[in-house]
Amino acid sequence: MKPSVKSLLLGSACAAAVLGLAPNAHAWSLQQAAAPYKGETVTVVGLDRPSYKAAQKLTPEFEKETGIHVKWVTYPYENSLKAETLNFVSHSGQFDAILSDVVWPVDFTKANWVVPIKDFMANKDLADPNIDVKDFFPVWRHAFTIKGQLVGLPFDSYAGLLYYNKKILKEHGFSGPPKTWNELLTDYAPKLYDPAKNLYPYALQSARGETQTADSFTRFLWPWGGRYFDAATKKITLDSPEAIAGETFRQKLIKFGPKGIIADDHSQVVQLMGQGQLAMVTEWSAFYTTLTSSKAGPDIAVTTEPAGPKGQYSAFGGFAYMVSAQVPKKTQDATWLFIQWLTSKSMAKPLLENGAVVARASADTDPALQAKYPYLAPMVKTWEHGSVPDWRPQIACYPYFSELVSQYGSNIETGQYTVPVGLKKLSAKLQHYMNSTGCWNSINVPKH
Amino acid sequence: MTEPTLHEVKVPRIRQWEPWFFVGPSLLLLLAVGLYPTVFVAYFSFHNWTMGMGPPVFNGFDNYIETLTSSDFISSILRTFLFLIVTLPIELCLGLSIALALDQTRNAWLRRLVQILLVVPIATTPSVVGMLVQLMFNTQLGVVNYGLHVLGIAPIDWLGNAHAALGMVMMTQIWEWTPFVALVLSASLATVPQDIEEAITLETESFWARFRYIKLPFLRPGLVASIVFQTIFTIKTFDMIYSVEKGGPGDATQMIALHIERIAFRGFDVGLASAESVLTLIVTIVLAQTVVSFLYKDEV
Repeated sequence: MKPSVKSLLLGSACAAAVLGLAPNAHAWSLQQAAAPYKGETVTVVGLDRPSYKAAQKLTPEFEKETGIHVKWVTYPYENSLKAETLNFVSHSGQFDAILSDVVWPVDFTKANWVVPIKDFMANKDLADPNIDVKDFFPVWRHAFTIKGQLVGLPFDSYAGLLYYNKKILKEHGFSGPPKTWNELLTDYAPKLYDPAKNLYPYALQSARGETQTADSFTRFLWPWGGRYFDAATKKITLDSPEAIAGETFRQKLIKFGPKGIIADDHSQVVQLMGQGQLAMVTEWSAFYTTLTSSKAGPDIAVTTEPAGPKGQYSAFGGFAYMVSAQVPKKTQDATWLFIQWLTSKSMAKPLLENGAVVARASADTDPALQAKYPYLAPMVKTWEHGSVPDWRPQIACYPYFSELVSQYGSNIETGQYTVPVGLKKLSAKLQHYMNSTGCWNSINVPKH
Repeated sequence: MTEPTLHEVKVPRIRQWEPWFFVGPSLLLLLAVGLYPTVFVAYFSFHNWTMGMGPPVFNGFDNYIETLTSSDFISSILRTFLFLIVTLPIELCLGLSIALALDQTRNAWLRRLVQILLVVPIATTPSVVGMLVQLMFNTQLGVVNYGLHVLGIAPIDWLGNAHAALGMVMMTQIWEWTPFVALVLSASLATVPQDIEEAITLETESFWARFRYIKLPFLRPGLVASIVFQTIFTIKTFDMIYSVEKGGPGDATQMIALHIERIAFRGFDVGLASAESVLTLIVTIVLAQTVVSFLYKDEV
């Protein structure tokens, strides 16, 4: 019997539906995916920074669409790790969406405190088919990949940039910013240093704490070829000639900075730059809006950080959201839906427009957005060619490791130790710490 | 003649327990917030436990040995003693001067106003004190260096120079806690009976004689309380220094409490931090007890 056209069409449609090939068979929508979780409350850890303010502003859209209630808990950066760790150790289940700095994922995953992302990605009911993880810049994916698994979705992502005052540079005969650190020190600094007029060529934020480690010490390590350690031989290498050269350069450079800079944090250098007392400052991309809306704002422009003798290695920092493994499954699923929504491609543009910084290539490379937000182009360039995911070591015992770097880095800056002596002492201290804690076994070496 | 006998009055059992109903809740609270954490800390001081790196493992006195051989611990505790030795005598002298001045003041309204003003530094949140100090001592923008400039003195790098930073936190500590001493001593002076004061005034015009023989004995309990509390407060100093300098620059202002916080909440090494806390507690108790014994040695 010859099949009729009608029966053929019907059969094909049924087959397609069974195989999941019909266009609308698995049409995923947030609203539908969230239906089983309506009424759930998701507690999210945030920081007192622009990206989280933008996220909080946009959160009602998610709540309206899903019926899931989102409760933000905001911490200063310095207290966030302590709060999250105590939450896990005490099994308080206080937080559902866990915020991880780029240097914490090893801790969180080693202790099994967070749910592997693949668990959600494999769930067709929860995973947005348009999540497009590859849209996150590779450096960000690599930074949050532990043992081959992506463990968080990047959010609030920074690149170190060079902000400069066009007017001040022009008045002193410079047509643009320096391309290398050496140029900054030898050509720009002497001409721009005028303490009598409260004018300084450059200020390096160096306050004790993560600022000293990330923004001051490490900034002068990688570009000179220095490294924290050699993972293969399990040796701290901070007393290498390259590291000594970089930190010696830092000592020369800070002499051209304002007095008291050793104790200054981001807010103070941003304030000095905003008041027109600085010609240049290296700061995170997240400070663009603050700087350009300051008194000196109209004169402030932005570019990539200067390169060192061994290439360009700009500061790299930021966060990712993860799902707590200590809360009920239903809450975990609702939390995933929120994180997936917040870090999605479709949210990148509204977040940017509300002052956040995101690591979505589709938004950050958008010509219209790049024209509107001039920091995007150098930020993209930095992430694509000028930084590394393990700019700060990815180890389980990073927090105290960083404390030691900060203490000795600050001691070197104050002149308590000469650079070689300070670095030798620091290396010995770190070597002892890494050996005694067995932390060598926790090193994550991300793909570059 | 038989002696009168006292008949035992039988108190109902419920009445025997009555005092415990009143003190019980406070006692339980005290045990919960005071004793439990101390026992917890003492227990973990004998364990190797880093949060997130596996369960606690008994390790005997290892943490104590590590603490006593740690150059960071030793230098932090010595720095704390220096902080105490410099600030406490100044606080006592200034506090006593203010208390005596208040005692001499006949204007009740002025005395009340000064007493209210004295509460301000103590009542101000330490983190706010820290922020204010950071602004006031800022090398570029601060009012302190502006004042020095007006006096023709070169600006000081208060926050970035190790010695100046230590001096700055000492000054702030003195500013913050001198009023406490002044108020305690002022209260002690208020206990001097009026008739004795009048009698000594008729006897001698010497301020020193009146102070030495009349006021000082009444001041002694207040002085002991001030010294003991200030010793404890100074050894515990954390929040103000943390918000101003975080122990920096370098480790110039890293007192023992900041050092322990670093070990506990940056290194998450609960065992080591517990051992350091226990040793610090012992040092504090010994110091306080020594002060009390010394000041009351005549009565022992």
